[in-house]
Amino acid sequence: MPGIVRRRSPLRVPEKPYVALGLEGSANKLGAGIIKHDVDGSTTVLSNVRHTYITPPGEGFLPRDTAKHHRDWALTVINDALHKAGVSMHDLDCICFTKGPGMGAPLSSVALVARTLSLLFNKPLVGVNHCVGHIEMGRQITGAQNPVVLYVSGGNTQVIAYSQQRYRIFGETLDIAVGNCLDRFARVINLSNDPSPGYNIEQEAKKGKRLVPLPYTTKGMDVSLSGILTSTEAYTLDKRFRPDGKPREGDADDIITPQDLCFSLQETVFAMLVEITERAMAHIGSKEVLIVGGVGCNERLQDMMGIMAQERGGNVFATDERFCIDNGIMIAQAGLLSYRMGYQTPLGKTTTTQRFRTDEVHVAWRA
Amino acid sequence: MVDAAQGVLGIEWIDGKSIRFLLGGGEEDAVIEEGDYEDEAEQEEEEDSLAEYKVSRDEVMRMIGTEIAKMHLADIIHGDLTTSNMMLRRPTASTPSHLVLIDFGLAYTSTLVEDKAVDLYVLERAFASTHPDSEPLFASVLLAYGKKMGKEWAPVSKRLDEVRLRGRKRSMVG
Repeated sequence: MPGIVRRRSPLRVPEKPYVALGLEGSANKLGAGIIKHDVDGSTTVLSNVRHTYITPPGEGFLPRDTAKHHRDWALTVINDALHKAGVSMHDLDCICFTKGPGMGAPLSSVALVARTLSLLFNKPLVGVNHCVGHIEMGRQITGAQNPVVLYVSGGNTQVIAYSQQRYRIFGETLDIAVGNCLDRFARVINLSNDPSPGYNIEQEAKKGKRLVPLPYTTKGMDVSLSGILTSTEAYTLDKRFRPDGKPREGDADDIITPQDLCFSLQETVFAMLVEITERAMAHIGSKEVLIVGGVGCNERLQDMMGIMAQERGGNVFATDERFCIDNGIMIAQAGLLSYRMGYQTPLGKTTTTQRFRTDEVHVAWRA
Repeated sequence: MVDAAQGVLGIEWIDGKSIRFLLGGGEEDAVIEEGDYEDEAEQEEEEDSLAEYKVSRDEVMRMIGTEIAKMHLADIIHGDLTTSNMMLRRPTASTPSHLVLIDFGLAYTSTLVEDKAVDLYVLERAFASTHPDSEPLFASVLLAYGKKMGKEWAPVSKRLDEVRLRGRKRSMVG
């Protein structure tokens, strides 16, 4: 008995065009984006500029160095964004920045830039939850109405559904995030961090032929990933492991290559994510899935989710790297939505926080 | 009942509705549209839907707690406890309405306190995300569960408190 429940959106059509600048720097990506909400209700991305701090193979990014990268590049990136959008600082209605969650030092560097611009040009500030930014941008780009959201990135793994003005977390990781799991394995086998370790894992996995057994750890609606990472790493010390992927003299067929491990790791962790997403869909009765976050541009994950959604008679929405990977435009979008509902962050409250759960945000702009 | 040789699968028809529906969690396939609709959407009957079963909300919660406890005392872990996976059978002349747990597709047997606590935690999360402001409801589920479990309740309760603390980015104040 499918029924249609219509609810009125609390967000009014704007009486004038609104333009917002969004600044993002919660991890190793520094982003600036400018978005416009027009009087006809349309949303236009005027510019979306990003600069990524890339470390050598085998190394991760450290908070201090990442913060320095953001400080060095902030002006270049913001100027570039303004130039591409063809607007000046004076045309902006508000400046949105990431309040959290993320790494402390990079977050506070970017917040400092936002505060300075706010005081220089006398513009109001809007602090934004990074996760809500991802969700709102995903909804805007794909047009998904009320999807179950799978948010997968280097720092977060959550299954989220909207209910009564909150994005409620159905399931999440109990230890490390899925992106972190993949990135750290990329470091173990010395894959390049350019453009991103996750992308390189995905390319290697396409060449994998063998599915090695790994633990499968869903716990209720939650998943645990750290043990899988350890198990995958253990295979690199196995006698059958060939780091160059080629059989040695006298080898039978029984060898394990880095490509096999990338393949097995992806298949296992993605299967777990698909399982918890499906259970959330079954429970809330939604037929739409929206994948956001950096790992969301992995095409294998999109395929697997697509098969599941198709079997349930639904569909999957995903975006490409411009909007999946951390960017400034998503902060501008979520910030502008709350600004239009009358929300501003007074200067004294523009602190940043490393712990900021998705379900703490009051989503005033949805019915 | 499965008869593989004959290719027959027998399942029971339960005359009733899911708890999720009865608690006003909406219909399974309801499409929610957002937009500038001027007509105020009429909310469907929620409070009254329990009336025809001749039970109160609180009694339903007690039934849920008791049924789960019965299952856990038999060392069966459901694995996917949500309000969609429970039905209330319509009362007949001879029997009052009662609760039926369904969908044991992810069920397994275990004697571990951990598994029982996680089972309850899944339900708690499902309550919180589909039925906002349901904390008092879930509290009465636990009360009835504890009563039925008897002396086995204390360790499960302790573990449930631990399980609740898991997860990332919790604010750790104090």
